[in-house]
Amino acid sequence: MPRKLHLALSAYGVGGPGQHGLWKDSRVPKNASIDIRYYIKQATIAERARFDAFFIVDSQFINATYPSHYLNRLEPLTLLSAVATHTTNIGLIATASSTYNSPFNLARRLASLDHISDGRAGWNVVTSFDSQVSKNFGLDEHLDYATRYGRAREFVEVARGLWDSYEDDAFPADEESGVFLDPAKLHALNHVGEHFKVAGPLNLSRSKQGQPVIFQAGVSEDGRNLAAQVAEGIYAPGGSLEEAQAYHADIKRRAALLGREPDHILIFVGAIPVVASTDARAQELSREIFEADNDFDRKLAFLGRAFGAYDFTNQDLDAPFPDLTHLTERGGRAGADLVRRAKEQGLTLRQVVESYSEYKPGPFVGSPETVADALQHWFETKATDGYNLRFRTIDDLENFVVGVVPVLQRRGLFRNEYESDTLRGNLGLPIPVNRYTAQREFAGVSA
Amino acid sequence: MSSRKLKLGAVLIGVGGPGQHNTWLSPEIPGNASADIHWYIARAQQAEAAKFDLVFIVDSQFITADSPNHYLSRLEPLTLLSAVAVHTHNIGLVGTITTSYNEPFNVARRLSSLDHISGGRAGWNVVTSGDSGTAGNYSRDEHYDYATRYGRGLEHVRVAQGLWDSYESDAFPRDKQRGVFFDRTKQHTLAHRGEFFSVVGPLNLERSPQGQPVIFQAGDSEEGRDLGASIAEAVFTHAQTLEQAQAFRTEMRERAAAKGRDPENVLIFPGIHVVIADTDEEARGQEAAIVGAKSFDRALAELGRPFGWHDFTQYDLDAPFPELPDDVGNNSFRAQANGIKQLAKDKHLTLRQVVEHSLKSFWSPFVGSPLTVANEIQRWFEGGGIDGINISVTVPSEFALFTERVLPILRERGVVRTDYEATTLRGNLGLPIPGNRYTTAAKEPAGSADPVADDSEAALALSCRPL
Repeated sequence: MPRKLHLALSAYGVGGPGQHGLWKDSRVPKNASIDIRYYIKQATIAERARFDAFFIVDSQFINATYPSHYLNRLEPLTLLSAVATHTTNIGLIATASSTYNSPFNLARRLASLDHISDGRAGWNVVTSFDSQVSKNFGLDEHLDYATRYGRAREFVEVARGLWDSYEDDAFPADEESGVFLDPAKLHALNHVGEHFKVAGPLNLSRSKQGQPVIFQAGVSEDGRNLAAQVAEGIYAPGGSLEEAQAYHADIKRRAALLGREPDHILIFVGAIPVVASTDARAQELSREIFEADNDFDRKLAFLGRAFGAYDFTNQDLDAPFPDLTHLTERGGRAGADLVRRAKEQGLTLRQVVESYSEYKPGPFVGSPETVADALQHWFETKATDGYNLRFRTIDDLENFVVGVVPVLQRRGLFRNEYESDTLRGNLGLPIPVNRYTAQREFAGVSA
Repeated sequence: MSSRKLKLGAVLIGVGGPGQHNTWLSPEIPGNASADIHWYIARAQQAEAAKFDLVFIVDSQFITADSPNHYLSRLEPLTLLSAVAVHTHNIGLVGTITTSYNEPFNVARRLSSLDHISGGRAGWNVVTSGDSGTAGNYSRDEHYDYATRYGRGLEHVRVAQGLWDSYESDAFPRDKQRGVFFDRTKQHTLAHRGEFFSVVGPLNLERSPQGQPVIFQAGDSEEGRDLGASIAEAVFTHAQTLEQAQAFRTEMRERAAAKGRDPENVLIFPGIHVVIADTDEEARGQEAAIVGAKSFDRALAELGRPFGWHDFTQYDLDAPFPELPDDVGNNSFRAQANGIKQLAKDKHLTLRQVVEHSLKSFWSPFVGSPLTVANEIQRWFEGGGIDGINISVTVPSEFALFTERVLPILRERGVVRTDYEATTLRGNLGLPIPGNRYTTAAKEPAGSADPVADDSEAALALSCRPL
């Protein structure tokens, strides 16, 4: 069975990070980020193109400087539930934080989406980048890195245990004997761990695909370890072809060392393709988009996100970039890396912002054939197993679907028809065996 | 006055709730109905065709093998309602969420998302969790005591209401000419610091077409009624007789008025079971078959629930109702537990007699021919006992008996609507849209009686402030 490419659509509304001008585009409805029909439409188009999944990013802290899309948007699981009953085969992946949810509630909601979609749910596990989120949840400080990652690992373990609460034959619903439930097939988890104590059982049975698929984006050392341990799908960090290849190899190696089957972890690189009838026109378009979004003040303000919502707007632009490492300890690693780079290169605050303002064409810009070539190249040189695609407008999504997907299909790289009606099935991932059934069978065999 | 209409709620149950042990045997009900979204969508559409105000999803998060069949495997309410939202247009969508085991930021966000997805039809049934075993699913050794549960409940709702106001209605000019998407002076942090919660905000979602989700509440204890009087726009209750219903409604309206609220904006919705047949006698016979079929043993087991799933099988059935230690039942459904203890004491009942009495309590006053049932509902409505009714829905053909044979009578008499007045839940319930507190405060700086705004002074300073 030849290795095939996987495609996911990462759906946005009025303009994510860096897309400061997008809301002005007449093709984007003014309230796109909170209009369920805008998302249903995107999912429907992606499904028609046989995409593996429809994916929703998320975060839970904002102030006035945040990108337009983040200011005002729908909660992912609520959104995807509405999309679920307007689709039949495409996976539905929700971002949810393991830091600011309780395992019982989140496991329940994910399992509910899994039932509503008849086996298509996925969970992108995040530990929350914005260190200010803690203040929306009664904590004065964000949990430190080690705690967040330890909590995430245990959270996934608890969720997986809860999802197995009912064995697959727990509900005989036998009218003759009058037995609705076989109580011997209902199991309390009784988890006691460092971060959580959860008795269970979960009040929902397994779906057609057994359990939701676990996704994760892991860049740091802790993140890569977590990904290798628990993730079935991974969102790779951005970077060059070589960086992607190194990341891909590293994750597969770590997984193998943990005794996991490397083919059961799929890596998705993020891509924002720009497709036009000719390469030249596409490059021109790409630069135009860059200029439309290029806004020094917005970039300066949003730079604060990596530093716990620090306010850069009153800083001296031509002074050396301040050492704010202490503000990054609780957030993502991006801030610390930035401080280090600025020191090494002797950059001022202005120069750092401008470094984000230099136009660099992306790798997936060109005519449909050119873009297909690039997607094929990264895939075949093991830089990735699939792409998490982002588009500015529905028109751009349609252009890609109409122009590029058929090329990939012709080349035998991407499916013509869905193999399955579950997310696991289409990703080629196994259905996890119910642990209680496995125990019973093992006990039976060894008795 | 003659324009006052009875409001209708449909409580969507799948395979059978408390006391409905044999409902799952119906050929009309698939074995997995409680987890089948298509089941709920079909029932919601059935209710919408009959111009119901809302569908209602009950909930809990603790089960044992003895839990009612519907509770064993069911969908989480808001996830469920979101899918129903995109297959309906006018009917309200009320989901139960506990304030005891959820964070206000998440609750506010999810309800507001449902409110947007549905075009302004979301409602929140506020509960504090009766089953004391629930605590064990949330890393707690013990359920919160009553005082804490209800203190937390009140503060939780206030925080959600504050978060829902984060954006004023003109926060997003989306003005392409001036290049202004967003007016940052119209985004507000809540900066709430209270006894149970500290939440800075803002919420990352603006108000919906109905302003804020409608607040339902259910709770019979003293603390429950007090909470309802403070926050509830609709109260889900239970009443065996018109007199009980009248007493409760009068009391809740008085309590609300004492808290400075307009009693007209507190709607009382008892839950009711209907059994309808061609004649009264046939209907009563059917009811006897349903209730009587509930085995004594199931009833004995279920008696334990208000007492924290206490095991009553350990006692002699024909001895007087056992003396229970004080802490049993203290943290679960206290009003219900105390009611049972009091009844046993007053009437010198044995344990067996208490169980038999509980079986009888499933008998409904709304049993009979369509005319009888319509008359009784109208009597309760015009007698000031109810503002609405929440009807339990399981078997579709039985629900159809209500919508197709009882409702036309009530419609003809002007008791229920012939068509929807609005596309929002508030609109159809006749409830006002709450003003945005920040807009109100800007107009009247002399101050509003807003408890959350007062807390905002003791601020958590953010390093970022609106420019």
